[in-house]
Amino acid sequence: MGLGESATVNVTDGVRTVSKERESESVMSPGPATAPLPDDDGSISPSSLTGQFYEPWLFQTMLSHLSANELGVGFVYSLLDLLAERHHLDDVVVVLAHESFGTQMFRLGGRPLSADQVGRLSSTPGVYCEPDVVPAIESDAVRTACQLSLALHLARYSAGQDSLTKINNRRSFDAALSLAAANSARYGWAFTLVLVDLDDFKAVNDRSGHPFGDNLLRQFGFALRQSVRKGDTAARFGGDEFAVILNNAEGQESAGFAERLRSNLMASGNFIEFSTGSASSPRDSTDADEILHLADTRLLSRKGSRR
Amino acid sequence: MIMSRTDEDFELELRTLPGVVNVGLMRRDDGDIENVCLLVSGADSAATQSVATQIASLYYPDATVSVERAVGESSSSFRENNRVALVRADYDTSEGACEVQLAYNGRMGVGRAGSGPLIGGAEATLAALRDLGYDIPFSLMTVTSVTNGKDWPVVVTLRSLSNDADRFGIARSDDDMVSAVKATLDSLNRFLSTLEGRQ
Repeated sequence: MGLGESATVNVTDGVRTVSKERESESVMSPGPATAPLPDDDGSISPSSLTGQFYEPWLFQTMLSHLSANELGVGFVYSLLDLLAERHHLDDVVVVLAHESFGTQMFRLGGRPLSADQVGRLSSTPGVYCEPDVVPAIESDAVRTACQLSLALHLARYSAGQDSLTKINNRRSFDAALSLAAANSARYGWAFTLVLVDLDDFKAVNDRSGHPFGDNLLRQFGFALRQSVRKGDTAARFGGDEFAVILNNAEGQESAGFAERLRSNLMASGNFIEFSTGSASSPRDSTDADEILHLADTRLLSRKGSRR
Repeated sequence: MIMSRTDEDFELELRTLPGVVNVGLMRRDDGDIENVCLLVSGADSAATQSVATQIASLYYPDATVSVERAVGESSSSFRENNRVALVRADYDTSEGACEVQLAYNGRMGVGRAGSGPLIGGAEATLAALRDLGYDIPFSLMTVTSVTNGKDWPVVVTLRSLSNDADRFGIARSDDDMVSAVKATLDSLNRFLSTLEGRQ
């Protein structure tokens, strides 16, 4: 039997019983060894820290990801994949907290979490593994990397986006217009800038209140997103003014875009009349400021003629 | 899992919706998303579904959106994973030795015993628990395998070192040793929960 113990085995009617008597064991409680052991002279050498405060695989993954992409939601899933692979995990969930998001949970492979599963999860940020075999120092490092990644993605996303309408903001628009104009000047790539202004929006706001006006702007932003093609840029230029850069388009496409926008607004049930003014590059100019000025002049002239 | 920038932004946008705590994207074989599963906590799930459907229509017009309401999300612990878990149970037939690996809260404990799969499994489990840092004031009394059923449950009896009170645990699997390990953990169920709470 080993371990100096005696045992008897009885098999009766299919029941096998192993009985055992032995001396009481001394109680051991070694406790987890987490602190680095000091060297003979009492100091802690760098080698004794290796692997305890920093995870080389994690650092390497982060660097390789950064060379190909920016850190974001995709990186969180990549880390969970790697963690599962390293420890042969069946499942991993990372719970993160962000002051804008609140609690966020990411599951291995992007699989959905059910309400029942979330009921068993803590809202405390951490990495929860099945089986629970990942050393705390490693799961803490993964959680920190995921947290950083989510925060960076949100910062990047928010920096270029208008928070109300969820389309690009003025800063993103300026960058996109400069790039389109530069490409047009250098390669002759065509684009059309369309400025869109809501008619009598101030009166609607005054009459129905700001919440109504905000909702109208939100719906208009959504209709703009519906109406542009992949690769185009829709942005809130300011107040009730919007701008759209239609790539590979010179003139005619702006009419088609206005029709799509009108039709999408009708379908949303939140229709508001709008005016447009456009300018194309390289036909009108290849200078960003000049194109903007031209589109604005045409917009004002159209609005004037409508009054 | 590699995500395109578009999918990353899509998921992030969904996560910025009020109350959304989890996003699951179910894909077709061609990689396109066919179903978006949102888990929402403390928000109007109907309103969230409406906005999420709008957003999804911009990225994947054919995708359906389902919203589930999270219940009991205020739980303070991840109960399932905050328990001692069996990682590995090996029986070396050539040496007649058992080795059990357990995990708790990211820590590993390994226990070995030189007995057969039944006693050895139970012994190695107790040793692994001690390796995890637990005080286990019990001794192994019996390991019983019932062999006349379809599956063979194993019953483990432990005796307290302080008051001779017995604890029983029962488990069933297709492997004697795994059953013995699980029955040992089962016999210590409440005792371990108390210790886990303190750690």
